[in-house]
Amino acid sequence: MQLQAPGPWSLLLGRLTLDQIPYTNPILQVTFAVAALVGLAVVGVVLYYKKVGYLWREWLTTVDHKKIGVMYIIVGLVMLFRGFADGLLIRTQQVLANGPHAAGFLGATHGFLPPFHFDQVYSAHGTIMILFAATPILTGFQNIVVPLQIGARDMAFPYMNAVSLWLTTAAAALVMISLFVGDFSQAGWVGLIPLTELPYSPGTGVDYWMWAIQISSVGTTLNAINMIVTIVDMRAPGMTWFRMPVFSWTTLSTNIIGLTAFPVLGVALALLGADRYLGTHFFTAGMGGNLMLYTNLFWIWGHPEVYFLILPTFGVLSEVIPTFSEKPIFGYVTMVAATFAIAGISWLVWLHHFFTMGSGPDINGFFSVATMLVGIPTGVKVFNWMFTLYRGRISYTVPMLWAMFGLFLLLVGGLTGMMLALPAVNYTVHDSVFVIAHFHCMVLMVVCAGFAGVTYWFPKLFGFRLDEGWGKAFFWTFAIGTITVFTAMFALGFEGETRRLEWTFNTAWKPMLVIEELGMVLYVLSLALFAIMLIVSIRNRNKEHLGSDPWGTSRTLEWLTPTPVPFYNFAVTPQVNTRDELAWRRKHGVEHTKPDAYEEIHMPSNSGLPVILGACAGIWGFAMIWRIWWLAALGLLGIVMIVIIRSFDKNAGYHLQPREIETMERNLTIGSITSEQPDRSHHIPHAEAH
Amino acid sequence: MRLKPYLALLPMLALGACSSGDYLLFHPINAIATQEWHATIVDTVVMTLIILPVLLAIAFFGWRYRKSANAAYDPDWSHNTVLELLVWGVPFVVVAGLGLYSVKTIYAVEPYQPGLLQKQVNADPQSVLNVDVINTDWQWVFVYPAQHIATIDELEVPQGSVVRMRLTSTSVSNDIYIPQLAPMIAVMPGMRTRDSFDAPVLGEYTGFGADFSGAGFSWMQFATHVVSQADFNAWVQQAAASPNQLSYAAFQKVAQPHANIGAKVSYFSNADPLLFDEVIAAAQAGVVYPVSAELTKSIGSNEK
Repeated sequence: MQLQAPGPWSLLLGRLTLDQIPYTNPILQVTFAVAALVGLAVVGVVLYYKKVGYLWREWLTTVDHKKIGVMYIIVGLVMLFRGFADGLLIRTQQVLANGPHAAGFLGATHGFLPPFHFDQVYSAHGTIMILFAATPILTGFQNIVVPLQIGARDMAFPYMNAVSLWLTTAAAALVMISLFVGDFSQAGWVGLIPLTELPYSPGTGVDYWMWAIQISSVGTTLNAINMIVTIVDMRAPGMTWFRMPVFSWTTLSTNIIGLTAFPVLGVALALLGADRYLGTHFFTAGMGGNLMLYTNLFWIWGHPEVYFLILPTFGVLSEVIPTFSEKPIFGYVTMVAATFAIAGISWLVWLHHFFTMGSGPDINGFFSVATMLVGIPTGVKVFNWMFTLYRGRISYTVPMLWAMFGLFLLLVGGLTGMMLALPAVNYTVHDSVFVIAHFHCMVLMVVCAGFAGVTYWFPKLFGFRLDEGWGKAFFWTFAIGTITVFTAMFALGFEGETRRLEWTFNTAWKPMLVIEELGMVLYVLSLALFAIMLIVSIRNRNKEHLGSDPWGTSRTLEWLTPTPVPFYNFAVTPQVNTRDELAWRRKHGVEHTKPDAYEEIHMPSNSGLPVILGACAGIWGFAMIWRIWWLAALGLLGIVMIVIIRSFDKNAGYHLQPREIETMERNLTIGSITSEQPDRSHHIPHAEAH
Repeated sequence: MRLKPYLALLPMLALGACSSGDYLLFHPINAIATQEWHATIVDTVVMTLIILPVLLAIAFFGWRYRKSANAAYDPDWSHNTVLELLVWGVPFVVVAGLGLYSVKTIYAVEPYQPGLLQKQVNADPQSVLNVDVINTDWQWVFVYPAQHIATIDELEVPQGSVVRMRLTSTSVSNDIYIPQLAPMIAVMPGMRTRDSFDAPVLGEYTGFGADFSGAGFSWMQFATHVVSQADFNAWVQQAAASPNQLSYAAFQKVAQPHANIGAKVSYFSNADPLLFDEVIAAAQAGVVYPVSAELTKSIGSNEK
């Protein structure tokens, strides 16, 4: 039944042989050396400061939503860096390999990357940026902020939250492993069909891509369930639906999308897997297969996925802009309505990703108009942000700068998106770099909102600010780099350059390719400034003591609790009186009131099972990729065992006593996110479920 | 410090170069491409009419109400029914207008049967030139069923004709695209799609594959020549004299995966007029042209 993959196979190692390790490639040699050095340095530091136990107790086994959120963001930032390195390789290859007479280095005919390598790089760039950088970073924000914003102690399912994180991390690890063991997919982040079928992609690259996405999408789906339940069920008393901050609203809508869309992707990839492993014909051109079915399924997930990324960033802008305009968001109700309108329409537009497939004018017409409809609620949002600025008192802090630039990118992306929504225009620029520039405006808006969010919420979590001066330097180089690269890319689209060209055959493109490369230099510079910002901020961290609201003008509940946030979030669950609760309390001078008495807090216990489950999933994925059946069975067995062990786990958490809370509240720094929880070796056997 | 925001606008100057001939999309040759270019302009102008004022208003508010300006401050203003109706209404009107325009233009340029060319096709059916396009890994085979010839990586059409292409692929999917002439349309194995264009102006226009199809993808350019009817006839004669013939059996050699480095043109006489249908039938029956891992690694690489 199993389809025989080409090449050698052994019972012990499956398809894995020594020549699958690309140790002769100089680029990968350098990458490996750097990765190994960084890895050794991290391990060395942990060992030198004897932090292994701390790392295990406080981070790897944690079920605290804030720490899980931080780890999501760290994973996302690492992958963002990897994805950026891929982007730099793509840009450099295309400018070097311009014209038929371009010189070749390192074994390539043109430029320095032969197609075999280049195609992996661009496929990895897309896969990583969308699924392993943007998604984890935004999930991280939602994890950190939403429970605080709605006045909850933690997520609804803290244990499952950790499972989601470690599944995502395992999948990201598989993508990284593909650098040094075997190859990555050469068929684009969308998995171009039938290029991903075995006859055209006989290697393990597509399998890496497929299993990594499959594993991470399980994590994302679980996280979506968790978020929805948390928001529906765990809002503080008084937090009615229409008192909920816009970021929590966008998180709710985005996770409804996530919960309903990711299973579609899972099914599409499972069917593709059946084609590749079992020899079925779901998506092949022949034998009754239908390759357009894959394309439809992929984009039925893929387009909602775009809004899965965009909506939370709209939420970030809706927090940052009012805070630094010192005004409530304009048109709160229409903002919420627009959010759900976008989420709803996102299900009706997938076909605009292939207007050129020959669907006929009626179908293309329907999807063209449906696509344009997205412009209405998006326009509403932009207008609302604009009116929020009106008669405000705007301070241009770093988060505000990022938000404003994000707004600019949204407008450029919107303008070009409306062009692409016209099939008559789409026929000339579909699959051209014009489309690339368009959706990079959108995803860079996500990145901008991401950096706005990082700088905005950083002091709340860690108790110190990110350096303002270096932050601004980072912002300006990044913003100017972005404009440089993507203005040139829009121009190249009009010059007829299409995407995924391993060598750029038209010499007329040279000037714009060079401009793009100059923009990339600015990006590299901005990356260095980002690192400097982090180092300087950490070094100067003890210079000031931050109160519960470091910005002084924040409006929502997460800024009510002490800074850095204690692991139990709120000593006493807050009673919510209005929308923008903190702004209301500040106005009435009651933001610092102490409770009369503390009550017991029920807390979940840490667990080592999720990280082990993640490891098992990673092993299972690796074994499936290389067709090492015994190892795959072992990985799967591990997962099943952990689920069984967990279901017999009688530990229902522990209670913090009022006296402990009072002590910790008095000495606020103890409650830091990086602090250790009190020792709980004596579990309370029959704690009530909270 | 104040200059920094303006520096960000510098790259916009790059667009000043748009008048040069490098911007293929700004220089459409035929009715189809011209209509598409007009749609681009109309859409851009309409959207700019709404986006530019918003951008300016954001810039103005952002400057006017900065903290240091001590401008009017209204800390509670967050609702205005008229404004909120307007923020829904204005985008709605724009989308309604553009939506109507979009549907209208779709029918005009519809690649299967462009409304724009319908009049000519009806008036002068003789001016229609049928070409069957077969995408392989990694070259373009153009079969002229009426002329019984075929070429690799060269499309030659007489001036004044309406070219109607049937498209399919032996192996994986791709897009065909001739920026100044023909809309981008998917080419898929086991399926037939269509593309059409008119050819009013003599000249050479580059066409290429636009949707990634594997290691040899970047080599998939082909020349499109619009020539006089006399030249076209002579060209057909020349191809018909080619010693290479293209039956379905002979096609098997052409269809084997390899990159046509330098897009070298080949001609075939006696091309099977049913080749296109045979290729589709074969793909549907499960015929594939596998690409070996070794081939993927060696294409475009000096390390053979």
